[in-house]
Amino acid sequence: MSAAFNYRPTASPQEAAAWTRRQILATDLRAVGGRAYPRVTGMFREKSWVFFEILLPFLATSAFVFVYRALQAPPEYVGFVVLGGAMTAFWLNVIWMMAQQLWWEKSQGNLELYFAAPMNIMAVLFGMAVGGFVMSSTRAVAVLAIATTLYGVSFAIDQWFLLIAVFFLTLAALYGLGMVLAGLFLMWGREAWHLTQLMIEPVYFVSGLNFPVGRLGIVGSLAISLLPLAVGLDAMRQLAFADAAYPLGTPSPEIEALILVGMTVFFLLAARLTLRLLERLARKEGRLSVRWQ
Amino acid sequence: MTARDLPVDGLASPAWGGFDPARTRGSGGDTLRSFAVAARLGWQMEANWTDPVLFFIYSVAKPVSSALILVVMLEVISGGSRPEFRAFVVVGSALWAFVVSGIAGLAWSILEDRERYRMLRYVYVSPSDFLVVLLGRGLARVAVGAMGAAITLAVGVVALGVPFEPGRIDWPLLGVVMVLGLTSIVAISVVMAAICLQTRQESWSYPEAAAGALFLVSGAVFPLAVLPQPLQFVGLLTPLTWWVEGVRQSLFPGGLTAVGGEGSFFTAVAGLPAPAPAQIVLFLLATGTVATLASIAVFRASDRRAKDRGLLDQTTGS
Repeated sequence: MSAAFNYRPTASPQEAAAWTRRQILATDLRAVGGRAYPRVTGMFREKSWVFFEILLPFLATSAFVFVYRALQAPPEYVGFVVLGGAMTAFWLNVIWMMAQQLWWEKSQGNLELYFAAPMNIMAVLFGMAVGGFVMSSTRAVAVLAIATTLYGVSFAIDQWFLLIAVFFLTLAALYGLGMVLAGLFLMWGREAWHLTQLMIEPVYFVSGLNFPVGRLGIVGSLAISLLPLAVGLDAMRQLAFADAAYPLGTPSPEIEALILVGMTVFFLLAARLTLRLLERLARKEGRLSVRWQ
Repeated sequence: MTARDLPVDGLASPAWGGFDPARTRGSGGDTLRSFAVAARLGWQMEANWTDPVLFFIYSVAKPVSSALILVVMLEVISGGSRPEFRAFVVVGSALWAFVVSGIAGLAWSILEDRERYRMLRYVYVSPSDFLVVLLGRGLARVAVGAMGAAITLAVGVVALGVPFEPGRIDWPLLGVVMVLGLTSIVAISVVMAAICLQTRQESWSYPEAAAGALFLVSGAVFPLAVLPQPLQFVGLLTPLTWWVEGVRQSLFPGGLTAVGGEGSFFTAVAGLPAPAPAQIVLFLLATGTVATLASIAVFRASDRRAKDRGLLDQTTGS
């Protein structure tokens, strides 16, 4: 056990509960690791995951590649589809395994334990995000690598640093949104399950998953200002296919990177506020252990 | 009342005192009742969480968005110069909404009952046939999928300019391919249920992943001729390919074909530009029968393994 947790005699429970900053940080870091652990380990224990989560999604992405081939589209559009197919892994992870997770934990009876444990609930969400990121990255890398090789996608990247920064900012904003949704979905209860369904294809459409989002006009502009997937994908496409005749109508990658920074800060603060509100409501109304609603 | 006073008719041991397994099986009426109750339960779970308007919006948003993605892809490249292809993709994506819902129905019933409600063990030991209960539960999702598909087609005709003439519909072909196609979709759903019986709770996305893979080889939104020949061959072995082709040919007789055409495996082998309605029905019947028989075998094997390894009441987390 870490030295931060050594036994020290105290005069009262209140004094025992007054932790040092070091103890708080160590506990939260342990919570992050503990919550990420089952996701990472689970990948290796469920072998079917490789087939259903890596190979089959690649085939689904391929279907859209062949739609463009049937239409004799310019080659960069195949690249747009491949990049979009890789990013869907993160969006699906955010929706299924972040946004829904607290509600799911409540249904399984774990949520009351999370709130009772001496840790910040944000640490639990951060652990979910870390584990989910590892899971999704394997799928995204597989889709990107196989499809790029098989369909001969050629990238033209001038600004590597900006591209990498945009990628990580997109993930930060996406998982931040996932944390906000986790709190909201917990309050909405059973409707959340159905809302998850609503946030897949409609979000793919407005985010321009398989085509430049600028083609959607005002809808695309709204998506860029609200959805991290839309703005991140648009920026990454502009940066990864710098030589392509990209449709105008969307901001430059630099501006979109700033939008992502703003989204990340906003979503993380909103998640913190939502969770505090939720915890207060849950304690007041005693709903932490009410299942299946 | 003592045990001695209880009525014994129908519940007592047989006269010869042993166990008669035949008495544990219900009649056809019992099976129908189990199916009806499961279907009603499935519908309640699907629909009673909100008001009808919101339920309708949720049910159609997904298939309509899927169709819109393809329509925009088409518009971006062709600029509206290929209206016949628009009908092709709208019909294909509408039908695919039906496939995705149908395939997920049974598998999600297993996952919901085992992982979320933790009732699977009780459902399993009830006198009803487990597969019949699952089929009933899955029916609700098929109904939601059918509604989504119909609305997507309507949106395609009304808002997206898909040329549609109700007078030209080949009703006999439509009726036959719908019955055979629905059977095939349920068969694939049974296979997915068998798989999800073995896996942990992350398998929520498995049915959709399987549907996505079939999407590639079924000619739903592009002609099979653009695929490499081995993949075209795989597609021709899939009942969904023939179902989509049959529905498309019945709604738009003489329209674009996904199976035949220049460069297609079908045309190269059969020497025909497109399959005739009778051929479509025959191939759908043959591939659907194989899929149905295989699905029952796979489900029974999975059922035995689940019992053997205690998977029916095993819950997981991640």
